[in-house]
Amino acid sequence: MATKESTPDDIVRPLNNTSKWWYIAFGVTAAISLAWLTIYGYQLDRGLAVTNLSDWGSGGGVTWGLYIGAFIWWVGIAHGGIILSAAVRLFGMKKYQPVARVAELLTIAALAMAGLYILVHMGRPDRVVTSVLPSYPWTVQTSPLAWDITVITLYFVMTATYLGLTIRYDAARLGDKIPWYLTPLYSVITIGYTKAEDEIVERMVWWLALGIIVMAPLLLHGGVIPWLFSVLGSMPGWQGAVQGPQFLSIALTSAISGVIIISFLLRRAYDWEHIITEDVFRGLTMWLGLFGLLFVWLQLQQVINAVYAAGVSAERVMLATISHPVYIMAIGLMLVVLGYIFAQAVKPSVFSIPRSLIAALAVLWATLTEKILFVVEGLQYPDFSLYGGVPGAYFPSFVEMSSVVGTIALCTLIFLVILKVIPVVELHAVEEHAHGEEGGHSETTHDTDEPGGAVATDGGPTAAADTVQTYDEEVSTTDHDAGTGSDREVTDR
Amino acid sequence: MSADDTNETGEEPRHPYETDESFHPLGAEWEDSMRQKLEETEFDADLGMQMARDAQRLVAGELTEEEFYAAYHDDVEEEFAVDERAIFDDIDAVDTDVEDESVLEALSGVDFENEDVSRREMMKKMGAGAAFLGYGAYATFDSQDDDEHIPEDIRGIRPADENERKHRWGMVIDLERCDGCLACVTGCINENGTSTGANWMYVFAYENEDADQRNFLVRPCQHCSNAPCAKVCPVRARHTRKKDGLVLTDYETCIGCRYCQVACPYGVNYFQWGEPDVPMEEIMHLDELDDGRPATPENVRSLDFDERNRQLAEVEDHVYDEDGRWVDSRPPQGTMGKCTMCPSRQDEHTESHGPKGTVACMDACDEAGMSVIHFGDLDAEVGDDYDRAVRYLERRKEVEENPRDKRDRFDDPEDYENPPAPHGTSELNTFRLLEDLNTQPNVIYIGNEPGPNAEQVEGPVSYSSISNDWGVEVKDNRKEHLDYFSDGGGLMARDEEDDE
Repeated sequence: MATKESTPDDIVRPLNNTSKWWYIAFGVTAAISLAWLTIYGYQLDRGLAVTNLSDWGSGGGVTWGLYIGAFIWWVGIAHGGIILSAAVRLFGMKKYQPVARVAELLTIAALAMAGLYILVHMGRPDRVVTSVLPSYPWTVQTSPLAWDITVITLYFVMTATYLGLTIRYDAARLGDKIPWYLTPLYSVITIGYTKAEDEIVERMVWWLALGIIVMAPLLLHGGVIPWLFSVLGSMPGWQGAVQGPQFLSIALTSAISGVIIISFLLRRAYDWEHIITEDVFRGLTMWLGLFGLLFVWLQLQQVINAVYAAGVSAERVMLATISHPVYIMAIGLMLVVLGYIFAQAVKPSVFSIPRSLIAALAVLWATLTEKILFVVEGLQYPDFSLYGGVPGAYFPSFVEMSSVVGTIALCTLIFLVILKVIPVVELHAVEEHAHGEEGGHSETTHDTDEPGGAVATDGGPTAAADTVQTYDEEVSTTDHDAGTGSDREVTDR
Repeated sequence: MSADDTNETGEEPRHPYETDESFHPLGAEWEDSMRQKLEETEFDADLGMQMARDAQRLVAGELTEEEFYAAYHDDVEEEFAVDERAIFDDIDAVDTDVEDESVLEALSGVDFENEDVSRREMMKKMGAGAAFLGYGAYATFDSQDDDEHIPEDIRGIRPADENERKHRWGMVIDLERCDGCLACVTGCINENGTSTGANWMYVFAYENEDADQRNFLVRPCQHCSNAPCAKVCPVRARHTRKKDGLVLTDYETCIGCRYCQVACPYGVNYFQWGEPDVPMEEIMHLDELDDGRPATPENVRSLDFDERNRQLAEVEDHVYDEDGRWVDSRPPQGTMGKCTMCPSRQDEHTESHGPKGTVACMDACDEAGMSVIHFGDLDAEVGDDYDRAVRYLERRKEVEENPRDKRDRFDDPEDYENPPAPHGTSELNTFRLLEDLNTQPNVIYIGNEPGPNAEQVEGPVSYSSISNDWGVEVKDNRKEHLDYFSDGGGLMARDEEDDE
């Protein structure tokens, strides 16, 4: 359905052409990042007293708040991202190959932000190495937080390996198309490369993908991260085996949303309508609907189980949660998004890429706020509930809130830099794409790639042509690069 | 409450080797199965069993190592052609503190199945990757005696077994006597110099749903024997002392992640969000070692045990424990604090104003004439040292004894002369907080447990009205206080940047 042939030149365009929009985006995100780092410096100097956190108990507050909620959110995006990319490779979902590397890069950037949040959250970040390492062989047997550190490190390594392996193929073939200053880097990346390794690398990547998919529910957002909360006896709001699946559904919805947003921006900035096709967005939207439905379903399970005949403290925390405006807003947003996705599945003309973009932003907002509320409400309604005499309502301080904006800016900044260093769409994708056009290749591959895929593709062409034209007009003169970063700041705030 | 708190059997436990039937702690049956195992080998089973019996005596201190070695040298050489047991220069390998070594452990020097692979060697033989995974399983499986592998600076999360630890510090708190005067809160602040709102000792006034009566709940740290806070700590800063079960925070390694606070079901932790209100100079602590070096934690630890504790006691240090860990008094900025049950007292550093077996809140409560708090060794039996807690509990049980039982008992004049220890018929109400969470708290309360819908009410004395030696403001709602500072004005109670 592409209007033009996709070529390797398309994917190296970000490396060679830099528009004023890129500089603007870079400037804005760099400024925001620096501003936040300054604020963080203030926190380092004054201590965590500059947050609105306090001691739960007689202190009347919560000791974990926005920082931990945002940490879970970033880890969720990261883990969901790598799961998406692994699924594309493992199940041969060729349609999504153009966004597979975006998902991997999102994983790296989001994991970095999650790691940063661990530091930001700590009272003595200067001791992170000297204190964690000596006791690690013992703490890893007992402390869920030590498991967390292990898993985050493990996934950073796996994703980087993944990326490193797949990039060699591209780097070896694009050597003549890249700007001169990248040549030394590319010669390092392709050290010892021979064509014979392609097949081996492909197999290695397949096994890595298998490992990631298998470990996702066991160790990732379906396991270790929820265990941080669900294994504790102190807070009834966090308990229950449902937390594993619940966290995983949040990770997947957040990551798909992230991929939709980034793909949207890239597509606009670099004229990639023929690479990241409308079909890809339709598919991602359907997947978002499926995982969003899981998210809402698991929420319902928790609510019903807690309010029907659970213990006093479990009921207390759930009643407080479901009557909280933040919760109502988060679930309300999810329901609206699900409504849109259901409607466009039934009637394809309801679909539009900007609408899916808005849905993605709404989902990210919902998952972020739901997760912060999960942490805060959990601590506010402990099993030992006698502390009611010193109540305190937690609302994050300016320093805390600035960290969300700051990390989003930093994450965007990382993306902007990556855009100038490696192709964010893999070479395979444009090659495969060409194949698909010529020989009807897609018919023969596994068609497990999309719930209700038939509907979307059937109704696709007319709507797709329309949208593509609109964008063609907008981007016809120059490619205004991810103008984008700043847009995101505004919308996310 | 379980029987192990009071140890009601009046009989002295006899060491297994003293009994005729079996020398092994696990009894005759186990011994027989061990003998069978030995007989399946090509070696002399009688010799093996005899050595095992004497090994138990050796461990109990009945035999010296020289005697043990000499007695069997010839036999062992004859049987195994070589005596590979530890000889004297290398005798450290024998852990004489451990009394319940199994026969196999005691015989570990004898290679009776030609598998002379010690744990240490086994570790070496594991590959690097396998060691990482394998060790975890191995240590968890056999965690009782893996101490030898753990470096000294890594603390444990459980007190040692009852026969290996010296004490199990804890409290008996008689809520029926408490009138909510908050003397204990003041006593604690005076002792530890905690910041505003960090009420390590906290007293609830509460009402149950269906009653108008005001009740009190005194809440120090419960110093759990299965402490969730120590379990979850990612750096083992929060740890449980093996020797006496105190749950403490090493302020020097704490990274301030606050997971201990999250995991604790009692809400006893207080983080040091900003600069402490009481600067370090004002807290009694060793400043300079006798040899002129500054008393940094590292230097303090470099001294040998006796010398270190002599110097710490000399200045009545209120910061270091006996191993030179910074665990006492208020925490520095960015680390977690909570009730410590006064480790510098229990380690005998502050004899003159706070002897071993006392805590500051108890002293204050006694001074106020209330005697609600009774600190002591919960392993002790009445008559032992530091038996105040268990003795008080016994007395209260006797007083509260069911009147009919009391009458029956005194019908017989002989019983009157020599009354048996009161058993389960006591009508005294006791409880431990949230016992079903299996934290094994070491604070036993006398009185009624708050109901599930109990509500905190205003107490007779407000927190803000109590004063203390440091002139630090006392508050109930710490959040209000902290949030005031979070407006960015930097109005720390004392703005002394350089006081660490």
